[in-house]
Amino acid sequence: MPALCLAVLFFLWHVICKMEIVSAYVLPSPKKVWESFWKMAVSGEAFWDMIISLGRVLKGFAIAFVLAFLLGMLRTMAPASGQFYEYLVQFFRNVPPLSLIPLLILWCGIGETTKTVIIVLASFFPMYLNIVKGFTDCDKKLLEVGDVFGYSRTKQFVKIMLPYASADILVGMRIGLGYSWRAIIGAEMVAASSGLGHMILFAQQMSRTDKVIVGILIIGFVGYVTDWVFGWMIKKLLKGSCKNGWN
Amino acid sequence: MAGIELVNVQKSYVVEKRNVQVLSGISLQVPEESITVILGKSGCGKTTLLRLVGELEQPDGGEIRYGAVHKTAFVFQEPRLMPWLNVTDNICFGLKKQALDSLEIQSIIYTVGLEGFERAYPFQLSGGMQQRVSIARALAYQPTFIMMDEPFAALDYFTREQMQRELLRVQKSQGASILFVTHSIDEALLLGHKIVIIEEGLIKAEFDLPKSEKLPNLLDEEFIEWKRNIIQNLNVHI
Repeated sequence: MPALCLAVLFFLWHVICKMEIVSAYVLPSPKKVWESFWKMAVSGEAFWDMIISLGRVLKGFAIAFVLAFLLGMLRTMAPASGQFYEYLVQFFRNVPPLSLIPLLILWCGIGETTKTVIIVLASFFPMYLNIVKGFTDCDKKLLEVGDVFGYSRTKQFVKIMLPYASADILVGMRIGLGYSWRAIIGAEMVAASSGLGHMILFAQQMSRTDKVIVGILIIGFVGYVTDWVFGWMIKKLLKGSCKNGWN
Repeated sequence: MAGIELVNVQKSYVVEKRNVQVLSGISLQVPEESITVILGKSGCGKTTLLRLVGELEQPDGGEIRYGAVHKTAFVFQEPRLMPWLNVTDNICFGLKKQALDSLEIQSIIYTVGLEGFERAYPFQLSGGMQQRVSIARALAYQPTFIMMDEPFAALDYFTREQMQRELLRVQKSQGASILFVTHSIDEALLLGHKIVIIEEGLIKAEFDLPKSEKLPNLLDEEFIEWKRNIIQNLNVHI
């Protein structure tokens, strides 16, 4: 069925171009897009832009995860600490990361720092909120089992709270990864000289709609594959869960 | 001091801004190496008493004195298994690494009748099977003091009888002390060396039963008399 849907879409695209319903400048034919993709793939242009974007995403995502995990853990182990930074978290959660690009360019220039900060801001919040939810929702009855066996707080955290929260943590990571992938393209369109976002913007300035479409398809494909890999990992890690989550 | 001693233990909860006194001054001696059964109607404070002894909650007043250092295990009303662990890992949950070898673990699994389910996860088991894993987890810990809160309520008649026999065997072989909560008079008579009846947060009566090598026959005249006594104390109209 997915292949059929894809085939129908390509067929409609082909028919629209063949009948010249819209100009080839606005919507190039699938053949033209494929040829452009092939040229970009052979020259390595598309591959390197993809690798650069992916590298930025992974770097920002990793930093965001460490920060979200540490703050989420602090919020759980010492609930009173939340009052010191929770309002800041809620404030920045409502500020779209892309709106901070002008300020970040003024502060950090158009180097890698700006893009990393954008990704961190985009992926931090879904991960932080899910990590906090996972830890705070931990079943008190299971914690009592740890108490009965004389578990220390650290052992209780490692043996009960962390596995219990893992479903929420992984879901937060999956959402965070999707958000960072979206954010990097935006950031690269504004402040970059490489990466898929820059490639798309440059192609638009050169009136190469075919290359713009190639860029969009690569972004969609890489995003889909990374999400699928994450989904597969979640399924493997939560092998004891019922319906992909025990809480 | 041998065993555990409760001195004028009190506990209350606030329910919808109303103070509910659950235990109003319980004084009780839980002797070592025997089974003490707490018997009473639902809501009389049996579970609260067990939670206080298990140090899962603190009493509002009174004192609980513990004798020798105990290695305690608790079997809750619900199985409380770790959903991400399989049967074997759940049974070993309270143990230090390699505290039991695989043969010993297999023997415990056999005792609770779960052979063939070693790799199964809790969501793949029935309620009764989950409860048996929970009992196995407590037994594997090799405790000297076991607290059990209606542990056999979810089991069928045959499994319950098997588990009761096993409990008596463990108690005898390990010399463990057991504090057992139930609302079943027959179960109390089958297992208990001492039966304590609680009503409205107070001890209403205590019975010391003769120790037996095997499961007592509840149709014996002696036990029918015990049962009659207990029923009278519980104010049950039959």
